[in-house]
Amino acid sequence: MNKSMTQSQKLMVFVLSMSLYGLATLFTELIPSLQVGIVEFSIEYFIFIPIALAILFDPLSAALGAATGEIIFSEIMLGQFGGLGELEKFVTITIAIYLAGRLVRDPKNVKNIACIALLAVAIQQLMGATVDILKVQFAIEGFEAVPGLPESVFFTEGFACLNDIFFSGIFFSMIPTAYLVPRLHGKIEPLLGVKPRDRETQLSGVKLSPKVIGICIMAFIVGIAGEFLSEVGIAIIDWEASWAESGISIFMSMLLAGVIITALVIKFKRRQANLEVMYD
Amino acid sequence: MKVVTNQLWDKFSIEFLRNQVLKNAYGNDDTVIAKIDPRTLLIWYVFFGVLPWFMHNPTLLLGLFIFVAVTTRLTKVAPLVLFLFCFGILTQSGYLLIVSWFFGGDLATLGPILIMTLKVAITSLASITVFSGLNPDRLASGLLWFGCPDQFAFSIAFAYRILPILMEEFQNILLSHRLRGKSPNSIGWRGKFRYLIYQVKIIMFSFLPLMLNIAKRSRTTVEALELRGYRYANQNKIIKKMKLRQLGMGTVDVYFAIVSIIWLWGCFLIV
Amino acid sequence: MIKITDLHFTYPGAAIATLNGVDLEILQGEFIAIIGNNGSGKSTLCKTLNGLIPNFIVGEGSGSVTYNGEDLWKMPIGEIANCIGYVYQDFENQIVCPTVSEDAAFSCLNYGHEDYVKKGLDALVLCDLLDKKDDYIWQLSGGQLHLLALAGALALAPDVLILDEPIAQLDPAHATQMYETLKELNEVHGKTIIVIEHHSEYIAEYCHNAILLHEGRVLWKKDARSALRECQQLIDCHIFPPQITVAAQQIQQKSGWKQDQLLPTTIAEGKKFFEKMGILPDFKVRQEVMNSQLAIQLSNIDVQYRSVKGESKSLFTNFNLKIFAGDKIALIGSNGAGKTTLMKLLVGLLKPKSGTIMLNGTDVTALRAEQIAAHISLVYQNPEQMLIKESVRADIEFAMKERDIANYKQQAQALITLFQLDAIAESDGRLLSGGQMRRASLAIGIALEPPILLLDEPTANLDIATRQEIIRTLDLLKDTIETVVIATHDMQLVCEFANRIIVLADGEVIGDGPREVIFNNQAVRRQAGIEPPAIYQMAEQLGGSAYTIAEFVQAYQKELCV
Repeated sequence: MNKSMTQSQKLMVFVLSMSLYGLATLFTELIPSLQVGIVEFSIEYFIFIPIALAILFDPLSAALGAATGEIIFSEIMLGQFGGLGELEKFVTITIAIYLAGRLVRDPKNVKNIACIALLAVAIQQLMGATVDILKVQFAIEGFEAVPGLPESVFFTEGFACLNDIFFSGIFFSMIPTAYLVPRLHGKIEPLLGVKPRDRETQLSGVKLSPKVIGICIMAFIVGIAGEFLSEVGIAIIDWEASWAESGISIFMSMLLAGVIITALVIKFKRRQANLEVMYD
Repeated sequence: MKVVTNQLWDKFSIEFLRNQVLKNAYGNDDTVIAKIDPRTLLIWYVFFGVLPWFMHNPTLLLGLFIFVAVTTRLTKVAPLVLFLFCFGILTQSGYLLIVSWFFGGDLATLGPILIMTLKVAITSLASITVFSGLNPDRLASGLLWFGCPDQFAFSIAFAYRILPILMEEFQNILLSHRLRGKSPNSIGWRGKFRYLIYQVKIIMFSFLPLMLNIAKRSRTTVEALELRGYRYANQNKIIKKMKLRQLGMGTVDVYFAIVSIIWLWGCFLIV
Repeated sequence: MIKITDLHFTYPGAAIATLNGVDLEILQGEFIAIIGNNGSGKSTLCKTLNGLIPNFIVGEGSGSVTYNGEDLWKMPIGEIANCIGYVYQDFENQIVCPTVSEDAAFSCLNYGHEDYVKKGLDALVLCDLLDKKDDYIWQLSGGQLHLLALAGALALAPDVLILDEPIAQLDPAHATQMYETLKELNEVHGKTIIVIEHHSEYIAEYCHNAILLHEGRVLWKKDARSALRECQQLIDCHIFPPQITVAAQQIQQKSGWKQDQLLPTTIAEGKKFFEKMGILPDFKVRQEVMNSQLAIQLSNIDVQYRSVKGESKSLFTNFNLKIFAGDKIALIGSNGAGKTTLMKLLVGLLKPKSGTIMLNGTDVTALRAEQIAAHISLVYQNPEQMLIKESVRADIEFAMKERDIANYKQQAQALITLFQLDAIAESDGRLLSGGQMRRASLAIGIALEPPILLLDEPTANLDIATRQEIIRTLDLLKDTIETVVIATHDMQLVCEFANRIIVLADGEVIGDGPREVIFNNQAVRRQAGIEPPAIYQMAEQLGGSAYTIAEFVQAYQKELCV
């Protein structure tokens, strides 16, 4: 059935996942967290929404919709947009939800759903924590040399990761997904004009091909690359700039960089335009 | 802490949130920043979003910080957005600081953390300037020009369109829960905690009917999108060009660029 | 212009065909109404005309649909959109851009019209929305939104316009404006217009022809007036002919009084018809209003609200109102007059800036909505928002269960039986028909047996037959619930249900009293845009007064018996 879901039905799933998860992130962004000592009971995300949709409908549309929704509703609307860094979140969320949707074979099997919902959070959190630790390492000059800092970063990040896997994973993914999916199954599909998914409709027995896993890993690497694009650049220019004694020469190089960026963008656009003319 | 959370929770209404978000997006059409071409702002953002990570000099960072603070002021950002910004910065750095002291850090740890905080603050404010200052449609056109996928660009404008509907549906469902359900007694320490848990629980329960209601709506929306040629346009490059024709750089853009450059120049001179 | 031959269509997974051999021809310049009960295939038929079927909705279909001789199903969707425009029943979801002018031009832009901005504006002019072009969608009223959805379809300058229940969510004044717009498009601009419509008064007034659809087949196509005279057949298909037609038919039947004249469908025709009978009926009706114990008292209420742009607007200033136990109140007034605000105030969802609200003698101004929920209950306009559990039964049980009422299961069952929900008690409400959904929401609303019940537009979006059903259900409530307040545009409901009418305009009570007082006050009627039911207007024309068909017929019967 997944195969025969039409493009417009996929778009429906995308729109649905985007609006619902977007709205949810708008709230979770605003609900303050509760800390008891170092254990943080924060509502990280209502990831059960897109996971449920991914299980019931087309996993990829649900995953992309959720990631898009998060960026638009909680980042752009609330002015929290973090630029390229958001790419990491986008990719990890997409991968986690997509995998969850692919792994569930029978939307009626509650145990299976619960395990996979927890797994999805674990995957997402581990990927996120890895990126976060690397990020702080880059942002702080002489990271290793600062007393207490490396340990505390590893500790806080590692702890936050485990904390989230168990707290968010159980309360905001495992339980609600297992509650929602059976209740939505057979009820939400007719509203979209789709035939409910069942055991037979899953893609011919192939659970996870190496190709799918390969693509996920590639995507994650691209995500990290996006995150560090700027910061790897830092190291290089930092090094290059060390010959420059005055701030002015740094400024000049900055300005030059700006001009080059602008020029590149314009040139790129021109070429694109030319190509388009050719295609026309 | 818990008392604070509860008070916040009580004051926070969905109506308020909706107003703040819409005000933030559309309530500032008349500012200087809103008149700047989105492409200029996006390039500016790439610059200011990346630049701080290159620098470690506190004075320089402070100079940049003042500049982005001024541009943020110019965009007339909604109070909620500013509050979130401050809250986020403070908790993040504060938490890290406390934990690092716990691991035997000293005053020397404070320096790098402060610098990092400053960097985060600059990039965040630059992002607030661009993403709150621009009205979503112009932002979408700007992103489209830079080759961002159509579906994403459309989703931005659509998100603002559907937000009031979503909020209203959600609010009413939540009300159904509140009015027909029975909230626990919120007296005392434990009561407050129970009350908070109850609130989170009904928010989560509310998503079941919300998913069904929005599913019903999104079917019409997508059918209408098909009829109104949304997908047809996405496959057609000429139409994309037509959409982008409304963009145009003017004197405001030049002034904005000049002011930014002069300020940077000044900062570097002082250093 | 459009020719449909032997059209069949079955939705995927559905057991029976939705369209079952439709043959139909629609001519250039026609203004045509499609009527039929829920599930007769009206919407599906329209979707085969705009290309959604088979381009986007898959299913099994056969037969042919041609447009000016061309096979419509083989035309690219872009081309169809330029010929045929479509406005949904839930038009709100059809609007996808945040501003008015953008949305109007959206289709033109997508289909690559160079002058898309101008075309969008032209369409706004046709729909009388030009002064709103820079507004945001959420600033528009329901009527304006509907006109905008129409403008969005009109911008491509299609020759044919299809509208699915264009006035279902509009108050009478806006409904008339909508049809006047359509009439102009039809007569001045030569558009062919197809509407799916339940309101037979509007069909009689505006449409040329009508098609009756039943079980996926066209029963007949007739000119609108004679179509509406098929009283019995229409009623069998759950469509109510105009009140005047029904009254005339009943009088004819009951009196055994033969007439060579055709049954009237409009007030003008009715006047001739009844005058010919030569009898002036005795319209004497009494309705007692007794003021008993005070149930609600609002004193010196001030309410303000913040708009998106910042400035706060005053909704109520120094507002006073008393509601007595036993009142059956209809709250009327145009959109934005403050009906919903008043309702929200009463249930405690909205807090006044100053003033006090007394409920059965206790001051509830500062109490939270949950705290007074057991004493006053609100049934929303949109029943879907009251369905928060997975089945109708679970929803009815929910409030009682939460409050530890011991025999909640039996009580819920009693309500289910009372509201005839047995067959559907275990299903999700959203898949039910409009009437079933509304009945379910009423059952949910009174589960706690509140002494005061508020209903927001209980008959909106319902076809006439279902409306009758809801009115009957409300009558059942009369004994259970002491005080009922209904906010509504539906004047038939007002006449049949209320013993007291409160008219709001711009946050002020401009009329308060029984229906005799309100409907006879021309100034109030004009100011609040009240359009009394056709039967009242008919009686008024004849120099008397009657509020329901039964009263009208009775008045004649008295005369005829003498």
